[in-house]
Amino acid sequence: MATDNAKKPPVEDYEYDTLTNERLIKDHDYDGIRELDNDLPTWWKWLFYITIVFSVVYMIRLWVFHSDDLVQEREFAIEMEEAAAKTPTDTKAAGEFQLVLLEDEASLASGKETWDKICAVCHLVDGGGLVGPNMTDNYWIHGDKLDQQFKIITNGVIEKGMIPYRDQLSEQKRLEVISYVMVKLQGTTPANPKEPQGDPY
Amino acid sequence: MELEKFTYDNKLSKMFLFATILWGIVAMLVGLTIAFELIFPNMSDGISWLSFGRLRPLHTNGAIFAFVGNGIFLAVYYSTPRLLKTPMFSKALGCIHFWGWQLIIVLAAISFPLGFTQSKEYAELIWPIDVLVVIIWVVFGLNMMMTIVKRRTKHIYVAIWFYIATWVTVAVLYIVNNLQLPTSFLHSYPVYAGIQDALVQWWYGHNAVAFFLTTPILGMMYYFIPKAANRPVYSYKLSIIHFWALIFLYIWAGPHHLLYSSLPDWVQALGVVFSIMLIAPSWGGMINGLLTLRGAWDKVREDPVLKMFVVGVTAYGMATFEGPMLALKSVNALSHFTDWTIAHVHIGTLGWNSMLNFGMIYWLVPRLFKTKLWSVKMANTHFWIATLGMLFFAVPLYFAGFTQALMWKQFTEEGYLSYPNFLETVTQILPMYYLRAFGGTLYITGAILFVINIWKTASAGKFTRYEEDQAPAKPAPKAGEGWHRKLEGRPLQLTVVALVVILIGGLVEIIPMYLVKTNVPTIANVQPLTPLELEGRDIYIREGCYTCHSQMIRPFRSEVERYGEYTKSGEGVYDHPFLYGSKRTGPDLAREGVKTLPNYKPDSWHYSHMIDPQKLNAESIMPPYPWLAERDLDVSNLESKIDVLERLGVPYNDYLKGQDPIAHLNDQATKIAAGLRSGGIEVQDNKEIIAMIAYLQRLGTDLYNGNTQAQLNSK
Repeated sequence: MATDNAKKPPVEDYEYDTLTNERLIKDHDYDGIRELDNDLPTWWKWLFYITIVFSVVYMIRLWVFHSDDLVQEREFAIEMEEAAAKTPTDTKAAGEFQLVLLEDEASLASGKETWDKICAVCHLVDGGGLVGPNMTDNYWIHGDKLDQQFKIITNGVIEKGMIPYRDQLSEQKRLEVISYVMVKLQGTTPANPKEPQGDPY
Repeated sequence: MELEKFTYDNKLSKMFLFATILWGIVAMLVGLTIAFELIFPNMSDGISWLSFGRLRPLHTNGAIFAFVGNGIFLAVYYSTPRLLKTPMFSKALGCIHFWGWQLIIVLAAISFPLGFTQSKEYAELIWPIDVLVVIIWVVFGLNMMMTIVKRRTKHIYVAIWFYIATWVTVAVLYIVNNLQLPTSFLHSYPVYAGIQDALVQWWYGHNAVAFFLTTPILGMMYYFIPKAANRPVYSYKLSIIHFWALIFLYIWAGPHHLLYSSLPDWVQALGVVFSIMLIAPSWGGMINGLLTLRGAWDKVREDPVLKMFVVGVTAYGMATFEGPMLALKSVNALSHFTDWTIAHVHIGTLGWNSMLNFGMIYWLVPRLFKTKLWSVKMANTHFWIATLGMLFFAVPLYFAGFTQALMWKQFTEEGYLSYPNFLETVTQILPMYYLRAFGGTLYITGAILFVINIWKTASAGKFTRYEEDQAPAKPAPKAGEGWHRKLEGRPLQLTVVALVVILIGGLVEIIPMYLVKTNVPTIANVQPLTPLELEGRDIYIREGCYTCHSQMIRPFRSEVERYGEYTKSGEGVYDHPFLYGSKRTGPDLAREGVKTLPNYKPDSWHYSHMIDPQKLNAESIMPPYPWLAERDLDVSNLESKIDVLERLGVPYNDYLKGQDPIAHLNDQATKIAAGLRSGGIEVQDNKEIIAMIAYLQRLGTDLYNGNTQAQLNSK
């Protein structure tokens, strides 16, 4: 600040603001609006410098060092690799998994949760069917056996609009929701049942 | 020194003042309506012109161009003559400007609900109205610049610098972003496509915020705060530095709207760093506003005008800090596409823009009508209700945005998405939508008090149309002025310098995107849409589907698992305009048609869902679109559309190989309709919904055509 003062024009070019005792620039008067001769606040200058340094470093990291977090494809590849390393593989899970109808309340409750969230979008919450078939009657298009149903939910029937849930639901979740259909939904009376599709079993 | 006498005419100020108030209330009411529509999706009751997608552009354009726009013109028409000691150049130009602008607003208010839109945000107006906007903007500029030329003061004040920068930059932005080829009197396609269109659009969109919602409001601040507080401006030096830094840096920051898109890394990085460098110049404006009040803080306690200015300028400081933070990739990875953005922009509009407008009008009306404000107490009440309303609006949406982003990204230990059904993440944040609507209601309640108070004040006083003033003739240039002081005495030079300064950033970012081929790598499989899909896409645009559904999958594990392979720039080369969207109120649709992906739905599902979404998902907040199944598809403009797209580089001649587009369209429609009928749905071939389904089922499929997910992964 002291060095700045040395460069300043003579005192007679200034007037003083009575409230703050700061210098007003003499001929700066616009419809009565005056301007003070204050310097830029020091913290403000430093804020500006820091953001400029940040920016230079940022661009160097991209252009010179091709840092992983700034190269989009690299960042994505790393995220996918890390996820693959953390996720248990299917073979390990398969050892513990058995395709047997579940009848305990906890599994059926979990199955209902999946049903309401995902399956109901096409088969409706009460199972009456809309875009997908009615799941409360005893007509089946692809068979009524557990392994047949597990295959449908796993691989889908894409030409009919049933998508595969292999990548969205674990084997356990798939089994739970089939169990929910077989134990809880079968034989109930939905509000607006879709007409039967497939063959009676 | 001999004084010259002259007269200010307040008539246009008064007209812009009432227009500001009228459109402010309208824009807020439309906003409140769509806030309620998000809670009660059937509120629009199957009436097409009341649906969310059609009203959202009306709200945004209304708030920006009608409410804030008229407020800006009020500030310019009132302050410019007084700062330059001369009346406005031309009353005739002023009248054309006023009525032309109101006509544009009325045309917007009619055309948006009817579905006439370009779909580019804040640039939705169709081309004939765009032409009108440019003409009226030139009239405004001419009137303002000629007033500056004919001034009596030697130098021009910082408020005028900001007005000038506003005028030149908005002209450049508006024209470049709206380059389009008409297919009919009411429809056109933009000349840009895909990621290039997105870059131009967000260069425009971001700088509409900068040069329509910021620089002119800073000009307003520099006049009305010192006037209302009767205090000198804190620092002339700061004015200079933050003015030039702001207008130079702002223009570069547009790409931060496209972080993690298919925009090349170097453009994204420029968007990030220029946003960060904007913090200090923005805060320069804030401190010059707030520190001008030193010595007047006792007045702030009593005076509602100053209170509004203080909260407005503080909100500006908050929003301009938050903006750069949202431009950091790690924050943006969470915030983008969520309600966080909505909260952020409303701190800007409800806080900064509206509070400055309110404060200015509370200060002006007693002066224009030579009386006292009818009720200071009521104005203070307005201030508190507005501040509370803003907080009730924004805080729940911050919470909603953060919550939903975390839910989208969460995985179970087995490696599956924790919330595979998008709707679950919507249901979770719905209570926040109720609170937002409550905040909006509070804010409007305050605005109604404002209207009453202004009305009563105006009725109590008598409008003073003419005001006498006097000033010496323009003095001769003084020797020994600094370079900037010289520039302040040469406004035309200042205008040219400002123009050059604002052109640099845009040119550096946009031109290489066209000239350097590696910036948009081509994909062999990508083909033009079929004629039916093209018509479907135009319906998607008409209904404003893009206001709630994005079509851009970002390169994150959570998005690729949920939606499929992330979006590539080469996929959009025929997309005039791009439809990336900016908000996911519903799920992304970029790969809706890919049969092997989790989001795939059969035609019959789409049909039932568009007719009655709640039948399929009781908790869905999507509005119904029954008219799509009732209206016949209008193909009368199809050939013209295909001709225009061919001229823009979409190879329709190669693709259709001489087939009649209408016959092609009918063939495809017949197949889809027959499929629906076989599933028990009664529908005719020629309904709009068939085109819409065709378009949705095409989305994202080209990349997967002949490629399995594994092959895509290895590429």
